[in-house]
Amino acid sequence: MGDWLAGLPLWWGKVIAVLFFLVIAIWAWRRPRSYIYKGAPDNHGWRDLRVWASVLMAIQILIYMTL
Amino acid sequence: MTIGGIDLFIVVAYLIAIPIFGFYFKRYVKTEEDYFLAGRMLPWWVISMSIIGTNIGAYDYMGAAGGAYRFGVAQANYEWIGAVPAMILSALLFVPYYWKAGVYTVPEFLGRRYNLAVRIIQALLWGLFLACVLGVFFWAAGLMLNEYLGIPIWVSLLLTAVIVGVYTITGGLAAVAMTDVVQLLVMFIGGVALTVLGLWTVGGWEGLVASIAPTHPNHFKLFLPLDDPTIPWLGMILGLAFVLSPAWWCCHQAIIQRTLGARSEWDAKAGMLFAAFPKMFIPVLVVLPGLLALSMNPNLTGPEMDRAFPWLIRNLLPAGLAGLVFAAFMAALISSVDSTLNSAATVWTRDIYQRFFVKNASDQHYLKVGRILTLVFVLWAIAFAPVTKQFPGIYVAMQSLLSIFQGPTFAITLLGIGWSRATQWGGLIGLLAGVAISSTLYFAAGMSFLYVAWWSFVGALIVNILVSLMTKPEPTSKLEGLVYGLVMKNGEIQEILSDRAEGGE
Repeated sequence: MGDWLAGLPLWWGKVIAVLFFLVIAIWAWRRPRSYIYKGAPDNHGWRDLRVWASVLMAIQILIYMTL
Repeated sequence: MTIGGIDLFIVVAYLIAIPIFGFYFKRYVKTEEDYFLAGRMLPWWVISMSIIGTNIGAYDYMGAAGGAYRFGVAQANYEWIGAVPAMILSALLFVPYYWKAGVYTVPEFLGRRYNLAVRIIQALLWGLFLACVLGVFFWAAGLMLNEYLGIPIWVSLLLTAVIVGVYTITGGLAAVAMTDVVQLLVMFIGGVALTVLGLWTVGGWEGLVASIAPTHPNHFKLFLPLDDPTIPWLGMILGLAFVLSPAWWCCHQAIIQRTLGARSEWDAKAGMLFAAFPKMFIPVLVVLPGLLALSMNPNLTGPEMDRAFPWLIRNLLPAGLAGLVFAAFMAALISSVDSTLNSAATVWTRDIYQRFFVKNASDQHYLKVGRILTLVFVLWAIAFAPVTKQFPGIYVAMQSLLSIFQGPTFAITLLGIGWSRATQWGGLIGLLAGVAISSTLYFAAGMSFLYVAWWSFVGALIVNILVSLMTKPEPTSKLEGLVYGLVMKNGEIQEILSDRAEGGE
């Protein structure tokens, strides 16, 4: 297993990282709206934490695809 | 090197203003809940800034800048893949359950979900860890004041104690969180000033790359090859992103405590999530300075590389900016010290004193005990700080101790919240088995801590599942509000728990 791992190219890291960010973003979107807004004083769109999570993951994907 | 003139004025003004501002919040502390959880009144933006203030300490400035000097931008993984996804996980899965459970500490939550033994192990771990790092933080603050203001070290230690103690002892979490907001602003202003001036000096980003890339070709790559002995990319993903980072952001008492003081469940979640935005900019403050130091002075070797940040302050900054950046440095340190102090007092009051020594006393009694314990920890830190000089590896040793527990702790917390079939014996034996695995791999096999974290997490997860399946399921009444599926499916329970959390316990 050690030899197999040692043979993995560097770009695999970027692919796994981007997939990881996508999984987190999709997971966040699968949280029910009522759960996300629980305790919020109103239902304004900017309070949708799924959007915040998606913006964060989009920035991360951009960074990891660039550097 | 000591500072004077306008720099001295900025630093002294900052050191006087912070305790006065923090002391103001004493008026809001009437109960134990006010003291340890800021009366559950914190808005999301205060929580997020306090979380980052707590997270970034002076050691991060030194260590991250030194790491960037050695490894390049790969060091930023600790702030990006090693933080941001875990903060989302924490905000949307863990934090709501901690908050709704109405607990004061993470060990208290684990005690409810599993059993008293799990709570004791976790409480002792956090109690000892937080107390020991206090001594290290105090010594660092004392050294900085000693070096830059030119005052004797014992005076520096006392000064640190007075600055932090005044508002932490009196105002509790509210004072700590509100001062953290100011400290974070100071950190960012000072850090950005340093980075902008540094980039201007080396000819911008292109100049920085041109001066480093020819001799250090990997310094502008986020992932380093698998044969890198310190931060190979697979270790960064498996150990850091999948285990250590979630363990830190989902289970660290000092981090989580801010969200427990939120005024609503939404504020608790939003506070943790929004903290990820400033967190993404932290490499600008701590990683870029390391690269700037390398560009200007590529001759630092060995332990000298960890002095990259102070070298930059000494050699780059003009009068006025040096004071501002030093204040930012102190802000990073003080915002970590006050949070650690407050969290140590919370764990020792709630999980040790209240659980084992004096049960069912009045609210005022525990408020008094909390304040006394905070004072005790201030005095302890002063006494313990010089000891850290005799044992320079003590901070690393404490971090290693924590990392041995982090994988297993995250495994049982994840299963505790995510799987209703996990039993108290699964949690306890999983935790112990995970610690045994990590200790063996770390001490006997000498494995990298990134891989130790991964395998101890996997081991604890498997043992917890196997033992849980072999033992009697927990009654639903015990799990209500503590496990993901149960709350999501039962609106009534959700309401009851929200009321319970809002009313405190």
